[in-house]
Amino acid sequence: MDTLIGAAKPSHSAVSATSADLLRTEDLRVVFPTATGQARTVLRGIDLSVKPGEVLGLVGESGAGKTTLARSILGVPPAPGRIAGGRVIFEGRNILALSEKQLRLLRGRRLAMVVPNPRGELNPTVKIGDQIATMARVHLGLDRKAARDRAFEMLKAVQIPDPERRMNAYPHELSGGMAQRAVIAIALICDPAFVISDDATSGLDVTVQAQILDLMRKLTAEHGSAMLFITRDVGITAHFCDRVAVLYDGEIVEAASRNALFLSPAHPYTLLLLAAFSHNPALRLGWSVTAAAAAPAASDACIYADRCPLAQPICRAEKPPMAELAPGHVVRCHFPVRH
Amino acid sequence: MRIARYLLHRLAFVLPQLLGIVLVSFFLVKSIPGDPAVLMLGPTATPDAIAGLRTQMGLDQPFYVQFILYVNHLLHGDLGTSWQTTRPVLDDLIQRFPATLELVTFSLILAIAVGMGLGVVSALNPKGWVGKLTDIYGLSAGALPDFWFALVLIFVFYTLAHWAPAPLGRLDIEVIAPAQVTGFMTIDTLLAGDMQAFRSAVSHLILPVLTLGLINAGPIMKMTQSSVEKMLASDAGGYEVLCGIPQNLVARHALRNALPSIVTIISVLYGYLIGGAVLVEIVFSWGGAGQYAVQGVLNSDIYPVLGFVLFSAIFSLIVYILVDLIYVLVDPRISH
Amino acid sequence: MMSALGFFGRALLVRPRFAIGYAILTVVVLAALLAPAVAPYSPIEANSNEFLQPPSRAHLFGTDAVGMDIFSRTITAPRIDLAIAILGTLLSAIVGTTMGALVGFYSAGRGPKVWLSFAVMRAADVLQAFPIFVFAIALVAALGQSIQTVVLAIAFVNTPIYLRLVRSQVLSIRAMRYVEAAKVAGVSDITTIRRHIVPNAIAPVLAQLSVNIGWGILLTAALSFVGAGVRAPTPEWGSMIAMGFQNVVTGQWWPSVFPGLSLAITVFGFSLVGASIEMLSDPARRQTLAQAMERRNARIAADKAVKAGI
Repeated sequence: MDTLIGAAKPSHSAVSATSADLLRTEDLRVVFPTATGQARTVLRGIDLSVKPGEVLGLVGESGAGKTTLARSILGVPPAPGRIAGGRVIFEGRNILALSEKQLRLLRGRRLAMVVPNPRGELNPTVKIGDQIATMARVHLGLDRKAARDRAFEMLKAVQIPDPERRMNAYPHELSGGMAQRAVIAIALICDPAFVISDDATSGLDVTVQAQILDLMRKLTAEHGSAMLFITRDVGITAHFCDRVAVLYDGEIVEAASRNALFLSPAHPYTLLLLAAFSHNPALRLGWSVTAAAAAPAASDACIYADRCPLAQPICRAEKPPMAELAPGHVVRCHFPVRH
Repeated sequence: MRIARYLLHRLAFVLPQLLGIVLVSFFLVKSIPGDPAVLMLGPTATPDAIAGLRTQMGLDQPFYVQFILYVNHLLHGDLGTSWQTTRPVLDDLIQRFPATLELVTFSLILAIAVGMGLGVVSALNPKGWVGKLTDIYGLSAGALPDFWFALVLIFVFYTLAHWAPAPLGRLDIEVIAPAQVTGFMTIDTLLAGDMQAFRSAVSHLILPVLTLGLINAGPIMKMTQSSVEKMLASDAGGYEVLCGIPQNLVARHALRNALPSIVTIISVLYGYLIGGAVLVEIVFSWGGAGQYAVQGVLNSDIYPVLGFVLFSAIFSLIVYILVDLIYVLVDPRISH
Repeated sequence: MMSALGFFGRALLVRPRFAIGYAILTVVVLAALLAPAVAPYSPIEANSNEFLQPPSRAHLFGTDAVGMDIFSRTITAPRIDLAIAILGTLLSAIVGTTMGALVGFYSAGRGPKVWLSFAVMRAADVLQAFPIFVFAIALVAALGQSIQTVVLAIAFVNTPIYLRLVRSQVLSIRAMRYVEAAKVAGVSDITTIRRHIVPNAIAPVLAQLSVNIGWGILLTAALSFVGAGVRAPTPEWGSMIAMGFQNVVTGQWWPSVFPGLSLAITVFGFSLVGASIEMLSDPARRQTLAQAMERRNARIAADKAVKAGI
């Protein structure tokens, strides 16, 4: 095995940014006010990029900032958060600079989101069929009948059982899996170019999870949409993500193609995540989770230093830049693991 | 049928309540000093005549007997007689209750228009000047005494500007009232085809409706504002924004979901205003039922008071039952 | 204690409308206390030579139809109005809170206490179905017109409000674990109520108190307006408005407008104070206030730094 300790070439930006990117975030920062009035940085400068038709997986534990990132890309960070800086370039334009009215034209139409906990987010007093049809009416300008027909087609496409009856059902009458399918229908009915799936399968039974994942993979391939697939479970990303990025405490610590990430993970945190799924005893051994730090990381230290088994003094003194290990594989670590 | 069963269920609760209301008001009113027999016969009555009338009216019986007699009369449609008007209370109320109802209904319509309008706009723009204005309006509307506000309006629009008519009842003095069909002056004048009387009725309604409507818009506005704000801040509201639904559609959905709370407060207000319009009725010499009851209390004329309390309670109960019925029919979440 | 006062003071700075409410209240209370010393004329002495004088330097608010100075009467009236409203509201709060706590505590289970609770709630239903004003005026008529009966009328009308408020608080608190723990530990019912339940139910009651006192003043004025409350010539805002009623129609607005304005401003002040208590007692909104205070401090510090640095 190669030496575990070695320097990496620092690179200019996190992921190679090309004009062919469909969506790209540049140094996206989001802060939340706390009880004492101080600002807590939840997203510390996120750089991501997704090409047309590509599926980028984003893995992070609870509290890492996944939902904040998903919603901030669409311009509505969860309350009371605020976007403190950075840009989101979609189809060549910085959409964070657009007015709310212009953003609403994009949302749902070109940029869609599949939300977790759908029964809590759907309007409880409107029938499912009408909620889906409203998307078509508002964004595509279809008349009432055409919109309802299209909604019905979508319900069939998401393989909801007994779609005629479900058209007139209310959210509280649906099971979790059916509600998730309805939300997918809402997201995809306008044929968006980019879909964000925020933890869309958590809380579902395992068998239903598998069905939903297959469904999303099929539909995005059919529609040709790009996707940002956010999840807590790194194993799922192996199914259909082209590239995977790892989010820890508001920072991207590693991003690579799927194969590269699973076969040669470089960041100690990524190794930890994969070790839970790995059959390699060598990986499993020796990784233990140290007690999580109570204080927020200082801005001039590696964000993972307090929990990292490999941490050296420099890790607590100097923040590692994002460096390119290999083409398309970047990592933010002073001592990335080599394979 | 489902509705019939629900109504029967509610009525079963309503009747004991009504009985309780009649009992308490009977007890209260009987405690008011003043001998009805003396008041009815006047100062020239002889002691024998007074004693005879007392026996006839059952005033020498113990309390519970009097109560039973009264309820018995009630069930036959006899609400007693007012010694001031010397007419059956039922007839007096049939004439006066619609006057109050007309005033209260139009005032409530104004209150709903102003209250819901301001409430929605301020919920959508909480930091704008509309929002701040609405907050101040909500607080001050509850602080203004309605009888005083009426006086101010009379002073400005009648004494100074000469726009409004004199605050003396529902019609100009020279106008003859139409035949009573509904008791609503606006409707009855239209039914009779008397346009001059209609215009007179409307002009006399303006100031009292403004008074009651503007003051009572406060609670409606506050409930609308808080309910719509809650809907907008909820997960469902945020999701609609995420889906790019335009602002006015999100607002319409929020309003629709907020309707139950708003309708509740409107129904409570409707019942309250029947008795709560009294002071405005007095200021404008409206000839309404509340005024009738207050005069009854002040002059120890007890049957008008009892009759009014009964009418008012029955009206409130009908409104509540109707509103609950609408909820059961309309809200998809309530299981049947 | 001092930190609480400090917080309170800073809160007033970031929410000026609350400061206005407390200022109004202070003025009214001062008027009630100091009026006899401050009033330029006697509030009940009529000088029939000077009736219906418009506002002037001699008579700030003018004089009424019998020649009494309206300014003196207006600032003396709070003595009566405040006293009646505060007494009546306190009475209703004490009785209503006690009954509400008991009814809420004994609302489930078996036994005569539960039946009594049920009966009390049905009685409260009946009481609240009454048209408020007619009930109050009938009560005053039945018991004889005096200040005491007006106090009683206010108390009667407001008791159901506290009853329901405290009952619903108690019901939700009672379900919480620490109350169950106390019961298991053998603490007596009364002690449980006193030590665990009442302190937590108190906050909404306090907020309601202030608003209620405002309503009490309105009801007193309304009763006096129709002649069933405080009798002339005792200065009281409602009866002053009534006395000036006919004059308004003929153009002399000052006998009615000034007392009415004072009345409205006073009730407004009580509503503001009630809203401020509500905000201060709700932890979530306290936090919003704290953030606003921090922002203000940051702004002040930034201003200072700019002025010093440049």
